[in-house]
Amino acid sequence: MGQAFGLRATLIGALGAAIGLSGCAKPEPGSSSTARLGPTSAASLQIKGSDTLVQLAQVWAEAFVRSHRAATVTVTGGGSNTGIMALIHGGADICNSSRPIAPSETAAARARGVEPTEFVVARDALAIVVHPGNPITDLTLAQLKRIFTARVTNWRELGGHDEAIVINSRETTAGTYVFFQEHVLDSERYAVTALLLPSSSEIVRNVAQDRGGIGYVGIGYVSDQVRIIRLRRDAASPAVAPNARNVRNGTYPLARPLFEYAAGDPTKIERMWLDWVMGPEGQAIVARLGFVPVRWSGG
Amino acid sequence: MGADRSVARNRAVERIAFGVIGALTFLVIGPILWLFGYILWHGLPQMSWSFLRLPPRAIDAGGGIYPAIVGTLYLMVGTIAIALPLGIGGAIYLTEYAGRSRLVRLVHLAIVNLAGVPSIVHGLFGLGFFVLFVGGGIDRYVLRADRPVWGQPCLLWGFCTLAVVILPIVITATEEALLAVPAAFREASLGLGATRWQTVRRVVLPAALPGVLTGAILGVGRAAGETAPVMITCAASFMPSLPRGLNDQAMLLPYHLYFVVTQVPHPTVQLQAGIALVLVGLVFMINIAAVMARTRARRRRRW
Repeated sequence: MGQAFGLRATLIGALGAAIGLSGCAKPEPGSSSTARLGPTSAASLQIKGSDTLVQLAQVWAEAFVRSHRAATVTVTGGGSNTGIMALIHGGADICNSSRPIAPSETAAARARGVEPTEFVVARDALAIVVHPGNPITDLTLAQLKRIFTARVTNWRELGGHDEAIVINSRETTAGTYVFFQEHVLDSERYAVTALLLPSSSEIVRNVAQDRGGIGYVGIGYVSDQVRIIRLRRDAASPAVAPNARNVRNGTYPLARPLFEYAAGDPTKIERMWLDWVMGPEGQAIVARLGFVPVRWSGG
Repeated sequence: MGADRSVARNRAVERIAFGVIGALTFLVIGPILWLFGYILWHGLPQMSWSFLRLPPRAIDAGGGIYPAIVGTLYLMVGTIAIALPLGIGGAIYLTEYAGRSRLVRLVHLAIVNLAGVPSIVHGLFGLGFFVLFVGGGIDRYVLRADRPVWGQPCLLWGFCTLAVVILPIVITATEEALLAVPAAFREASLGLGATRWQTVRRVVLPAALPGVLTGAILGVGRAAGETAPVMITCAASFMPSLPRGLNDQAMLLPYHLYFVVTQVPHPTVQLQAGIALVLVGLVFMINIAAVMARTRARRRRRW
């Protein structure tokens, strides 16, 4: 008897827990219910995409829900490609992207009734980083291309130590990968020896530990364990460091806009989000994380 | 004389063998102890009430991990609520009813194989089957929604995916517990005129309870630590609030750890170790609970 009761109690307990969970998880009817409306609900916002932007979006979300108590904001990374795919298929309300959406992607979205609306929410300088022990201080874009396509394989050929060059790249789903390929490699292929890493912090970590390492990351990811290379457009032009001033005045050659795309005509919550992100509070956070605001005080 | 020498030689061989075995044991245990010590050493300073009770603060990669802890607890309860009835039911059928046909052997083989499937494959299966096929189907044919409601990563599909992951543990543990019940119990019950189901429900299952409990709790421990299956079926990188429905995503401890290590620009070792410590501590406590539940249930019966 006692034993049978023990078993029953266990099963009932598990069942009760399940019901309790779904019970407390179920939103009351009439409220801004997430269960019925999903991402389109007035109170819930799904943000997906770029790993360059994920940290920024996270801080935005944190501050946004402090002033918009009813809102649920979910941020997920995965890369710009992932975000754009989610936008096309309705899995995200807002997509973070470190590259502009491609015409083919816009067409795919339209075919599914989604009209992606573009917002430039921040600007970023793509910083080239090397090991602190590397004596090279600046490179031209042409040299950079030769490095990443493995036409140069030893730092000695560029005036550095006799050390094999180790290329650290992002993986193919990253918008940063595409941007670098278009703007530095002139759309040529990366060297097959390039290491494809899943995140910018891993590029920094790898380069910090590898005397021959070189990699590219958004300026917000640079730490003092690596050294930033100044860039020249060509051999005659001055060497420019990636910073907010040089991004604004257009002298740094690898500056890029960071995007958010809204699915179709932004609904109320999306509108509120984008207004807030583009407003003083959102843009102040952009500056605080080391990116470059698109609007700043007085502008 | 010859006998003495052979004894001495055997002793020497024995000593060498024990030495080798001892060294191998240390080789296995040592790194685990070192790892645990590392996590404790770096993680303990991170422990504080606010770390456990506050949501993450992204700006300094600090703050707390409260939503991740709650998400992990939800996940454990939901997973076991699905896996337990399925697993126990399946095990009862296999041991008490199915007999020993070729089909049953095949099913056993399938269960063993299921346990060996890499967890990322489970994740992709969950994404393809639960999220896109089942969830997408509900959206398309039941709700006729123009945007995904269930056809997106969310808690419910995380439960289902992890239930599949831990099903082999629950089934195997339950089966073993059922088989350990002496056949005489069943014979006595049947001999008194009880039906097969009455026998299972009133005699066999209660006697097997400790083993079943252990299996269930070990399964929960496994569910708490899995990263790959939940990464693509229900985990959110960041959510300042708790999930409000079964179709919300949630923050989870293992994924949060992965996220902090790989995506956050300048994470401190202390923060990383702190999250790891909470996760390991949680799984450890669950496993202790398994041991305690087992001994408690054991003490009540003897045969």
